[in-house]
Amino acid sequence: MNPFDYSKAVTDFWTAQGQALMRAQEQAGKALAEGMKAVASGKIPMMPTMPADLSAGATELARASKSVMDLWSAATSVCAKLATSLPAASGGDGIVEATFRKMADPRTWIGATGEMDEVLGRMAEGPRFADLWEAERRYAGVLQAWMNLRRRSLEHNAVTLEAWLRAGRRFTEQLAADANAADAKAALGLWVETANRELLETQRSERYLQTQAAMIRATTELRLAQQDLVEHIGKQYGFPTRTELDDVHRTVTELRREMRAMRRDQHNAIAQQPARRPAARQRGTHT
Amino acid sequence: MTQIGTNVLSDAAKIGAKMLTGGQLLHDLRDSDVQIATTPKDLVWSQDKVSLFHYRPLTPQRVHVPLLICYGLVGRWTMTDLQEDRSLVRNLLNLGLDLYVVDWGNPSRADRYLTLDDYILGYLSDCVTEIANRAGVPKVNLMGVCEGGVFTTAFAALEPDRVNTLCLTITPIDFHADTIEERLGHGFINIWTRSLTPEDVDRLIDANGNLPGEFMAAIFNQMSPMRSLLKYNLDLLEFVDDEQRLMNWLRMEKWIADRPDHPGEAAKQWMKDLYQQNKLVRNEWELDGRRVDLGNIKMPVLNVYAKDDHIIPPATSRALGPKVGSSDYTELALAGGHIGVFVGNRSQTLFAPAVASFVEKHDVPAAKSES
Repeated sequence: MNPFDYSKAVTDFWTAQGQALMRAQEQAGKALAEGMKAVASGKIPMMPTMPADLSAGATELARASKSVMDLWSAATSVCAKLATSLPAASGGDGIVEATFRKMADPRTWIGATGEMDEVLGRMAEGPRFADLWEAERRYAGVLQAWMNLRRRSLEHNAVTLEAWLRAGRRFTEQLAADANAADAKAALGLWVETANRELLETQRSERYLQTQAAMIRATTELRLAQQDLVEHIGKQYGFPTRTELDDVHRTVTELRREMRAMRRDQHNAIAQQPARRPAARQRGTHT
Repeated sequence: MTQIGTNVLSDAAKIGAKMLTGGQLLHDLRDSDVQIATTPKDLVWSQDKVSLFHYRPLTPQRVHVPLLICYGLVGRWTMTDLQEDRSLVRNLLNLGLDLYVVDWGNPSRADRYLTLDDYILGYLSDCVTEIANRAGVPKVNLMGVCEGGVFTTAFAALEPDRVNTLCLTITPIDFHADTIEERLGHGFINIWTRSLTPEDVDRLIDANGNLPGEFMAAIFNQMSPMRSLLKYNLDLLEFVDDEQRLMNWLRMEKWIADRPDHPGEAAKQWMKDLYQQNKLVRNEWELDGRRVDLGNIKMPVLNVYAKDDHIIPPATSRALGPKVGSSDYTELALAGGHIGVFVGNRSQTLFAPAVASFVEKHDVPAAKSES
């Protein structure tokens, strides 16, 4: 393959990846909304049709494909769980029951993907009643955090992908201008150098840092939401929770800290004694 | 067959042979064959997960005041003794130093509430006491590496009467000085940490308990993106059939794979107090309610930095000079990067001799207590 074909192949490859990822995102959004509608109406949700090049492509595409499948699977299963938990949580007050049904009904969420997110937000952050819907609220919190993470992750990936595409374009231009890069090894060296520079420049950009920080934030919030849910369930079965263990660890750390300080004081007190002992012995010798 | 065709076949055959030899080498190797930090030493003190080791001498001792090597909580001290011919530890022992090293252990979630106060004024302080008692000296020489350099700097500022000399290696002091040079690919950790809010850091630690070693590894990998992508394919192929180079590489891999988690509360201080708020260079940092005033560092100081250090940019280290109260302050600039200081060929002949000469110059005879 001559260098020009090679550079074209690289550019085509990244362009194809970019387009495939964007298609995957678009389909995932549509599929999620449709799936929610299907769950809400009692139909069995259908898996979204995936772009053909996702399964056969490079690692990044395979990963994106898996993410979309996971998204679909998690969203449908959590929605199903919420739908089936309705009868168990209801009872007693009619207004409360109706309110609960409305709040937990997936149909309320699915006007659009964004609206669903908003509704979940209200559900997770809404006013709290002492003993009602604690588990459901937490499930909703996990789902919301998970969806937010997917969004943030895709936003950040898009920034990185753009950098790769820029690198591909720059590489093509440089390759065309550099006669020395006709050799495959030299071309590879040029590609490594070009891509490295582009990625490093991108990493310093405000947009990259912002999307990365948002992604880290979303990861953190998902983990905290998961822990909150697990703690809630664990507590009901009498399992020790993370919070309880943290309390113990904090106490142990503080006790050890105090013990070290006491040891140090003791050591200092002993260290001062030898200075007095020789004087005492000396006095003893003289008398 | 054309000349081009012949060349292609010849190249393919060479690569095939290389992969065959390399594959056999890797197949025959076991993890136990790849050893690092092999210089003989003895455990002389331990507390909780912290261990203090004393190296056995390799030559008659020329310096009376012992030197303690203090690495940080990111990574491990084993980098200073990676292999026999690339070992700061061995080089220092061969120059007649009495050498100790502190190992912080493997912090788990149970250690999340340990603070930098605990590490510096607790464990490090106790190590210094132990070494001073064993050697019968009132002060010891400290050598801090990277985050460990911050530990020793703070200790020297708070307990100056217990430190004979302070040697710092690739140590950040002004955490915002990365902006002075703005070299591409340098100081990413500084930029990245500042892109987070203090609340982000708190939540990150609350969610994970500690700062996971894998998390920091991912941040480090971002600093050389293409190298990270090529490392296990093209780069490895370059030397996979050369046993000596392969072993060197595997030792480094072993060191990289050893990524202890950073205790949570200590990580909060490290990221917020220092990387974000830059309290150390401003003399605003407090440990156990005591302010760390760099002006209290009046003992001799040797500040070693790497000219191409992309993790701790030189300006962040060199900021110490105008801040210390010592009139005996020296800088040593070594070629290479953050890790090259310890394993680079040129460093082997420059670094250890400079440190040995520095501590020997300021050595004081041992005054063993009669008791």
